[in-house]
Amino acid sequence: MLLDDVNSLFGVERKTADRDQTLPLARDVEVLFAEWRAPLLGYVETLGLPIEEGEEVVQEVFLSLFQHLRQGKSRANLRGWIFRVGHNLALKRRYDLGRQVLQQPVPGDIEDVRDMAPNPENAFQIKQRQARLLVVVAALSEQDRCCLHLRAEGLRYREIAEILGISLGGVALSIGRSLERLRNADGR
Amino acid sequence: MQGENPHPSDHDLLLVLDGELPIHEAEKVRAHLARCWTCRARITEFDNTIVDFIRVREQLIPPLPAVEGPQALLRLRLAKLATSSKPTLYERVGTFLQLRAVRLAWGAGFALLLSLIVWRFVQPVPDTTSRVAGFEIRSVPDPRLTPGATLPLTRDDVCAAEMVDAARIVPVDVAKKVFAAYGVDTPEPRAYEVDYLITPALGGSDSIRNFWPQPYRNTVWNAHIKDALEDHLRQLVCAGQIDLARAQHEIAIDWISAYKKYFRTQNPLPEHATFLKDRPWE
Repeated sequence: MLLDDVNSLFGVERKTADRDQTLPLARDVEVLFAEWRAPLLGYVETLGLPIEEGEEVVQEVFLSLFQHLRQGKSRANLRGWIFRVGHNLALKRRYDLGRQVLQQPVPGDIEDVRDMAPNPENAFQIKQRQARLLVVVAALSEQDRCCLHLRAEGLRYREIAEILGISLGGVALSIGRSLERLRNADGR
Repeated sequence: MQGENPHPSDHDLLLVLDGELPIHEAEKVRAHLARCWTCRARITEFDNTIVDFIRVREQLIPPLPAVEGPQALLRLRLAKLATSSKPTLYERVGTFLQLRAVRLAWGAGFALLLSLIVWRFVQPVPDTTSRVAGFEIRSVPDPRLTPGATLPLTRDDVCAAEMVDAARIVPVDVAKKVFAAYGVDTPEPRAYEVDYLITPALGGSDSIRNFWPQPYRNTVWNAHIKDALEDHLRQLVCAGQIDLARAQHEIAIDWISAYKKYFRTQNPLPEHATFLKDRPWE
């Protein structure tokens, strides 16, 4: 009632989808879930959330997406919307859990590095190299890590900038800086 | 390659790789890459580094659980939301807060409230009025009653020696009309100066629109202080440092601000507290 009164006061029409519209919307959300659940969950895990918490965050994202669509809001760049909301919810969940340190495998803990080398010597070299690269990734700032992971998920620089709340130029500099550090870690 | 077009920076090479460079600039870089093996080798290094990162990333993200379980859970939750006939309180509050108009209104209201608080409690309340015996004593006249009035005089006229020493006597009938206009029925003797807003020493006229009962007491911005300002302004006008019209205007609009400006002080100077140029009402 209060909302209706306020809406009438401000001349805003609240769009309420009836039953016939919400069911197709739910199906749309399920389709998007099937497509984006894995990339989003993978990204959320890089922020340090364990898998169970990550799954719950992903659920919240798509439930929010349903509300977003039911309110008749923009469908432009839903991929960017999903990752932006997921990023924010994951950070909030991480804060609520009191996790301040990114949960990453540390060098020396890699037991199941997949190697494609046919001989043990090459396999050892690959494992060592991956350990060096992991150290470099762990040493990056969180913003640099987020830029890399989001780029790896296929988001464009502009989308990354919106998700992280930084400038477009900042995204380019971050990714360039991170790749240079990875390249230098290998002595190349 | 020496002496020809410069090599693109690592930054530009990365932007070309990621498709983030504007089209015309990307074409220039690609044209350069077509003839520069060195830069193509740099591109290959970038690609190799990206491949390395992707492989490292696979170590950071463990294999994900199957999608069927989470998908079924989402379907159940969506069905519950979809079948609800009206939005939940959470949704309504969220919608309410998301309304752009509401946000703007809240923001504007908050800004206004903050401004009022700052204005009321931070800025000093100017000591321009006080109440004595039910009458609001004014350090500045009511502009509706006393807008000010001048004679068509020049600087030379007002600076004539005989005007400096002239002691002005306000006619009784004029004074009574002024008191009546300001609601003062029985004016206390020697408590007021029926003052010219624009002093005759600066070309002010005897029009009733140029008078008001200015107190000597109960406010720091009293007739003594204004007398000091009038005297000072006349000296400035006659010395050619300010023109007559400006002096008249500044006194008429806000004599207190004019005092602060020309004496460079926020408060009346002690030596002006007993300054007496005009006669008090008796």
